[in-house]
Amino acid sequence: MSTPNQPVATIPTPLRQAFIDCAASRLSGVLRVTGQPGGAFHFSEGKIVAGETPGAPGIEAILLRSKRVDESGWDAAFAAAAATGREMRNELIGRELVGAGELEALLRTTIADAVFAVAYGVVEICRAEAPAAGLLVTLEPGAEAEWLLAETSRRIRVLRSFTDPVFNARARVIAVSGAVRPGLVLGEGRDELAALADGRRTPRDLAFVLGRGVYATMLELGRMQADGLILADSRPPGSPADDEEETPSPAVADDAETPGGLPRRRREHAGQGGRSGGRDLPAAFRLLRLRYGEGTSTGGTG
Amino acid sequence: MGVTGVVSSLEESLQNVLAVDGVQVAALVDVATGMVVHSVGDEGPDFAAAAASVADEARACRGMLGPGRPGGDLDEISLVTASRIHLARVLSEQPGEGMVLFVDLDKHRVNFALASLRVGQAAPAVLA
Repeated sequence: MSTPNQPVATIPTPLRQAFIDCAASRLSGVLRVTGQPGGAFHFSEGKIVAGETPGAPGIEAILLRSKRVDESGWDAAFAAAAATGREMRNELIGRELVGAGELEALLRTTIADAVFAVAYGVVEICRAEAPAAGLLVTLEPGAEAEWLLAETSRRIRVLRSFTDPVFNARARVIAVSGAVRPGLVLGEGRDELAALADGRRTPRDLAFVLGRGVYATMLELGRMQADGLILADSRPPGSPADDEEETPSPAVADDAETPGGLPRRRREHAGQGGRSGGRDLPAAFRLLRLRYGEGTSTGGTG
Repeated sequence: MGVTGVVSSLEESLQNVLAVDGVQVAALVDVATGMVVHSVGDEGPDFAAAAASVADEARACRGMLGPGRPGGDLDEISLVTASRIHLARVLSEQPGEGMVLFVDLDKHRVNFALASLRVGQAAPAVLA
């Protein structure tokens, strides 16, 4: 089992085996995955028709946050589906809010993103349960488990191919000061990412804010990191520092006064620099944080 | 939830592209991830890698056009080898995202210009 801050090398075996078993038994039900972030995958006759995880945006967030569908249109479709009993998918297509092919494509990418988000985290227990009601939009026909496993493996391989250490979905990212000059257009969605990478948001947060897939967001951030546009800190909040600055030498720690007779300022009590809200940051990251202030929230914004 | 026998909209529309003379494989590729969203035809073992490369090409070409895109948005990318023609038709664009229709053609069986025209005519229906 991987820890939350060590990107996995491949799909965790329990998850892979559960997908294979559910497909082989032609499950119509829910595969619940506990862990971090964990999630639930809805199967219909052995194929995956929906995925839910707090680690990646669902189809509603993808459609609305990206402004592919406006909220008033979504609400009208939802109200009509609730009143008539028609499927939400048919309402969205019938009202020409989204094309049938585009919705199918987005559902497939959203499910693939959910599988990736779960597989790239910590998987504890996978358990098949009876079908659950209340799914808003499902993929019909469902996606094959074999295809999803192959795609997830490919995604993990791609992220691990970066020469810089690959951050995980919970790493905090920050734009490098001066790397993005006024008037410069980076393109490919990088401008939005750079503007929102404030040292508090994670790739997951950015994916939710922008209505993009979490893998696509991590991939672009990885490219931006390689291009020197952003920095990332993958260590969990409160983890021990890995640089020597954080650990005063015994000689310094034991010496309560400076040579001038003044009380020695201890590093853990310093107002700035070493720690931010109780969290340790790499040296380069800390320097950047000083320019941007000392925000400490890591809560999702999506 | 699922209903047996539901026909995939993507399957139907990609089959129409596959029906164009000389088309070996037709696939919908997500530019942001390089993922083959759906495909029809005779895929080789390296098809997924080729599709991911097509996504990278689309990104690179969009970058070449520049932010102002004085010549307009990217429409199609053509890659010609000794025996194959790869067409990548842009279907949708969002910042950092979008979908392309990737078509692998047998160069010896097609008229390049005609195939491009036929694929272009079938392309809008893929996401419709």
